[in-house]
Amino acid sequence: MSRVRVQQQTFDAGEEQRRLLEARTDIGAVVGFTGLVRDVNERPDVQALSLEHYPGMTEAALEAIADEAESRWPLQAVRIIHRVGRLAPGDPIVLVVVASAHRRAAFEACDFIMDHLKTRAPFWKKEHTASGDYWIAEREADHHDAKRWEVSS
Amino acid sequence: MSLTHLNARGEAHMVDVGDKAESRREARASGVIRMRPETLALLADGGLPKGDVLATARIAGIQAAKRTHELIPLCHSLALSKVEVAFELDDANACVQVSATCRLNGRTGVEMEALTAVSVACLTLYDMCKAVDKGMEIGAIRLDSKTGGKSGDYSRRGDATEVPIVTGEGEAGEVSLGVRCDTEQPCILVKCLAELRERLGVGEVSVPFEALERADVGALKRALKAMDERFAGLEEGRVLCAVNQVMAGNATPLTAEDEVAFFPPVTGG
Repeated sequence: MSRVRVQQQTFDAGEEQRRLLEARTDIGAVVGFTGLVRDVNERPDVQALSLEHYPGMTEAALEAIADEAESRWPLQAVRIIHRVGRLAPGDPIVLVVVASAHRRAAFEACDFIMDHLKTRAPFWKKEHTASGDYWIAEREADHHDAKRWEVSS
Repeated sequence: MSLTHLNARGEAHMVDVGDKAESRREARASGVIRMRPETLALLADGGLPKGDVLATARIAGIQAAKRTHELIPLCHSLALSKVEVAFELDDANACVQVSATCRLNGRTGVEMEALTAVSVACLTLYDMCKAVDKGMEIGAIRLDSKTGGKSGDYSRRGDATEVPIVTGEGEAGEVSLGVRCDTEQPCILVKCLAELRERLGVGEVSVPFEALERADVGALKRALKAMDERFAGLEEGRVLCAVNQVMAGNATPLTAEDEVAFFPPVTGG
């Protein structure tokens, strides 16, 4: 299984974690994060979400983020899955699973990957609501979150 | 309206396209193959006796598009610039949605190539899975859209609005067969993505390399604005840039054959 996947079809977080851990007895901690489509965002009554991406660059950006996480923490496995296309409220959008010998590394690396995915991977969301469609604007808070990981010299 | 494949005497003939102007043609077709949910699960898990089903069907579809003229009597042989075959596994409806996009710069349309790619990809799926499911059914093979040419653009109505999730080359299943630009001369392929594409009303455009006064992104922006005033919108709001899929800035150098994408700040996750 590849470390990074961009796909239209849905995923099963439990199944992905099971496959990641299959035949491994050296892993002591596994942390999984699943992002879901909310029906309330910038406007209420979100009926659907379209996710566009830049094929090729997307995969490379996710691989680079996974590489960076692996260089900062002693990780034993990383899996990043991001969906594209049209999604409905309640659908899973993104999955990050990180395995390590100890919990701290797994928690932190998972958090790190999500913060950087939101600010560096070329995905764009458009929301479809009762009052029209609109592209979601970037959030300053996401950049603030990603900056937390910068090493001060 | 008349049937162009019949001559004045009502006999079949191949249309002479020698005097038609070349233009960029693109066609997208789709189809569906229904199967038992267990077959679909096996397909998804790679558990079928003939091996990697989707990869094989994808190659079959691409090959078929290139050989359409050998199958359909009055079709011209075409030098396609792009063939893309994509599959979507639909668990809810126990089927695989198959789609194909073909493109070329030429004198005839590519809808037959797209339809042939879908048909042969579906047949290959049947062949690869028939050991476990003989009751599979192929259906709804149809043209979704075509652009370019004298008869104008066509888009099937009544469908849910298509979401463009593919905004660049390099997606699984896409084969670049050579031509990347509309022109013969060295050029930069420019893409506008997501909100920027909708705001400017431009998806892809090629810029002759010699139109750039300097070989960098800043000069490319000036050349774009000189070509088309809509590109003034590149200066509105925060617009990011990638050269050959790596983040770049105004000073980033360019060479002929580069791919440059402009896009709004990202909002995934």
